[in-house]
Amino acid sequence: MNSGVAQSPIVSISQVTKDYTLGKVVVPALRGVDLQVHPGEFISIAGPSGSGKTTLLNLIGCVDTATAGVVRVAGQDTKQLSERQLTNLRLHTIGFIFQSFNLVSVLSVFQNVEFPLLLQRKLDKVQRRERVMQLLEQVGLAHHAKHRPNELSGGQRQRVAVARALVTRPQLVLADEPTANLDSVTGQNIIDLMKELNQKEGTTFIFSTHDAKVMNHANAVVRLADGKILDRLTPAEATRAMAAGAEAH
Amino acid sequence: MGGHLRLLMQVAFRNLFTSKINLLIGGIIFFGTLLVVVGGALLDSMDDAMSRSIIGSVAGHLQVYSDESKDNLSLYGDWSGEPDLTVLDDFSRLKPVLEKHPNVKTVVPMGTSGAMITSGNTVDLTLARLRDLYKQRAQKGESPALREGIDSVKAHVQQMVALMEQQKDKSRELLSDAAVDPQETEALARARSDAFWNGFEQDPFGSLEFLENRIAPQLPDGDLLDLRYVGTDLDAFQKSFDRMEIVDGQRVPQGKRGMLMSKFFYENFLKLKSALRLDNIKQERDVNHKLIAEDPQLQRWVKENQTQTREILFQLDPIKARIATERLQKALGSQEASLEKLLSAFFTTTDENFDERYQRFYQDLAPLLELYRLRMGDPITITAFTRSGYVQSVNMRVYGTYQFKGLEKSAMAGLINLMDLMSFRDLYGYLTADRKAEIADLQKGSGLREVSRADAEESLFGEGSGNTLVADATPGLIEDSKPFEGGMGALRREDLAARVYSQDEIEKGVALSAAVILKDPEKLQQTLQELKQAGTDAGMKLRVVSWQTAAGFMGQFVLLAKMVLYFAVFIIFVVAIVIINNAMMMATLQRVREVGTMRAIGAQRSFVLSMVLVETVVLGLVFGAGGALLGSGIMAVLNSAGIPAGNEALYFFFSGPRLHPTLSAGNLLAAFVIVLVVSAISTLYPAFLATRVSPLQAMQTDE
Repeated sequence: MNSGVAQSPIVSISQVTKDYTLGKVVVPALRGVDLQVHPGEFISIAGPSGSGKTTLLNLIGCVDTATAGVVRVAGQDTKQLSERQLTNLRLHTIGFIFQSFNLVSVLSVFQNVEFPLLLQRKLDKVQRRERVMQLLEQVGLAHHAKHRPNELSGGQRQRVAVARALVTRPQLVLADEPTANLDSVTGQNIIDLMKELNQKEGTTFIFSTHDAKVMNHANAVVRLADGKILDRLTPAEATRAMAAGAEAH
Repeated sequence: MGGHLRLLMQVAFRNLFTSKINLLIGGIIFFGTLLVVVGGALLDSMDDAMSRSIIGSVAGHLQVYSDESKDNLSLYGDWSGEPDLTVLDDFSRLKPVLEKHPNVKTVVPMGTSGAMITSGNTVDLTLARLRDLYKQRAQKGESPALREGIDSVKAHVQQMVALMEQQKDKSRELLSDAAVDPQETEALARARSDAFWNGFEQDPFGSLEFLENRIAPQLPDGDLLDLRYVGTDLDAFQKSFDRMEIVDGQRVPQGKRGMLMSKFFYENFLKLKSALRLDNIKQERDVNHKLIAEDPQLQRWVKENQTQTREILFQLDPIKARIATERLQKALGSQEASLEKLLSAFFTTTDENFDERYQRFYQDLAPLLELYRLRMGDPITITAFTRSGYVQSVNMRVYGTYQFKGLEKSAMAGLINLMDLMSFRDLYGYLTADRKAEIADLQKGSGLREVSRADAEESLFGEGSGNTLVADATPGLIEDSKPFEGGMGALRREDLAARVYSQDEIEKGVALSAAVILKDPEKLQQTLQELKQAGTDAGMKLRVVSWQTAAGFMGQFVLLAKMVLYFAVFIIFVVAIVIINNAMMMATLQRVREVGTMRAIGAQRSFVLSMVLVETVVLGLVFGAGGALLGSGIMAVLNSAGIPAGNEALYFFFSGPRLHPTLSAGNLLAAFVIVLVVSAISTLYPAFLATRVSPLQAMQTDE
């Protein structure tokens, strides 16, 4: 299905720790994490809340920096980059899908999707239009291009968000709990859509979830607990392990 | 790039009406702009109108005066009276220096001063007429026509005395007997007696003297009037100040001495007071739509007209009094025999009968009366203190009245009377050529010779002073055979009124200042500097000031009003900055997740900064444009309708009875710039805060 193993990893994390300071108390969120993600992978990060899923995604997404250890994204050590450079890295390399969709409410569906392209300033108006419509077509919302986000259902909004994340043709798409605010059928559809794009475009997806059904679609499930990676399993193994874990409780 | 800005604009426009905070900010900007546009335009228009008033009446564009003056020139007088100016010795030397400048159109010599005049006592005036008639009889002998005239005026005087006694009786009822001067009572009683009038013809001049000395002073009738005048080259003045127009009478013939009285002054101070009050009531009713029933001022005027009928009664001789009585009886449908009561009833005006009574007054009564105490062509005596403090008086003829178009009702412009420059110099205490000649004659006649101050001691007491001045002077003064030269002065003064002066004579002499009219008023400041330089080059120490400075506190008035407005605007916008700043902070906090999302997606801080700034600027411009639009609308309405000058002081500021304010591009530009600056300043800090929003905040969930 994919031959990513031979390629250099798009994300490479080694011995990363991340501490949060809450007042005078230092709370460790990650305690020595190693992870390699190769191009084309469709990886799920699983674990109970507070296990460090979001922190790990933030580090990968270059919106946060590690306390110690090295985070490499697309070959670049994020610690060595300036704020500006990090922003540029996010703009050109990474797509984001948020749990609460985070669309700009005053802009239309089309404009929301076009937004990153405008920031990039690479394409002219015609090209942008073509690209945006192509993606809206892919997520099945071409007829809603002129609508405002508040005129759409939750699932439709998240599909707009997916289109926005992919419009720049990023190497990597990060999704933090993309289905948490959706009902199971809609959530399922979103994951299907992501999977489809992963297979068609070869885009790397990393998404966090605590939903076992969602995990099943991944190539691999990275399980986190207490800021450490427990293991890296196939979806089937993960389901079994989760079931066992549930029984143990 | 274009897409970038378009996006920012779109975000800005769409955010405009989404938040109540924006509406609040917009409201402030809206009213702020409205104030700047309307207030600014009104004041500019007023400034403009007033500058036309000042420039067009006496100031001209520039005023030039001596730099040695202690005070600054103030054409409309200062809080402390007339400013102390050093004179320009010879206007004819100054004129060519100024006229050489290419932007100078005309130069008019001027001097402003003031004097007191009395408006004349009715009894005095009537007695003077009687004396004239007797003089004629003494010279030419009696004729039937003259006899008739004498009898008529005599009857008038008798009537006056009778009226005065009536009034005396009335005041005796109010005051104790002790308050009434017994000598006055005695004199009145004598003037009332048949014996006095029977003996009148035997000694008419003696009897007249008694009336003039003992009776006339009992009537405190003549007002003491403050007469402000500008002495100028009347022809040059009329040519240079084209708003000036003659109303009554005629202009002063070229080169002659004479006065043009201001129409406003003439109406307000020399008109029969009852008639003036009727005029005032009519104007208030017609122009300002006031009602006698409601307005206390109008009621006061009506009351005064009812009670103060004496001025009319004194003017009427028995024949005219009879006619007046008949007319009033007919008009009022009354059988009342007392003219005083009839007048009082006639002047009892209400809103219903006012217009009819007003018309009837001018139709029936006015032809019987002297409406003005001074007729065109009458001479008046102006007595003024010269600069050195002695009293100087000059007789001159009042040729006519004039007004400045648009400033007819303005007291400020209307209190300026014009006189010829020669008379002005006399009154100001500077010797005109005539005076010099007169004095030289006197000196010759009296054997005086001029002694310079430095030589005075030597001349008086020195060895060489063979003949004493006093000894020589005395025979000249008492020599009966030679006419007293000093007496000629009075005669010569009569001649002076008829003399025609050449332009040269008018210009060769002192003036206090010179008004300069420019060809291109836009270059006022530049010309001002160049004229100053021209004066220095010509060896004259000149002070050159703009009309605004020359007008003294008047010129500063609009400037002051402008400062008040701009201070108010400043305060409003300072408050606006604080409020907008706070509101924007709140708005930014509300949008933390949106901003965080944009940052996460890849928007740089500069993008966020420009987004917030563009938003406020768009907000400012949209609401500012709304305010400016409403302001323009208000100004358009005001422009076509005009703002009425409610009281007479405003006429000057409005340069007419109504101000039609105009809106200039400058006012709109000022509003535009202010709005832009205010919205930018007030958003700087919130915008900075917005740039500090971390992309991490995008990840936060709603809960």
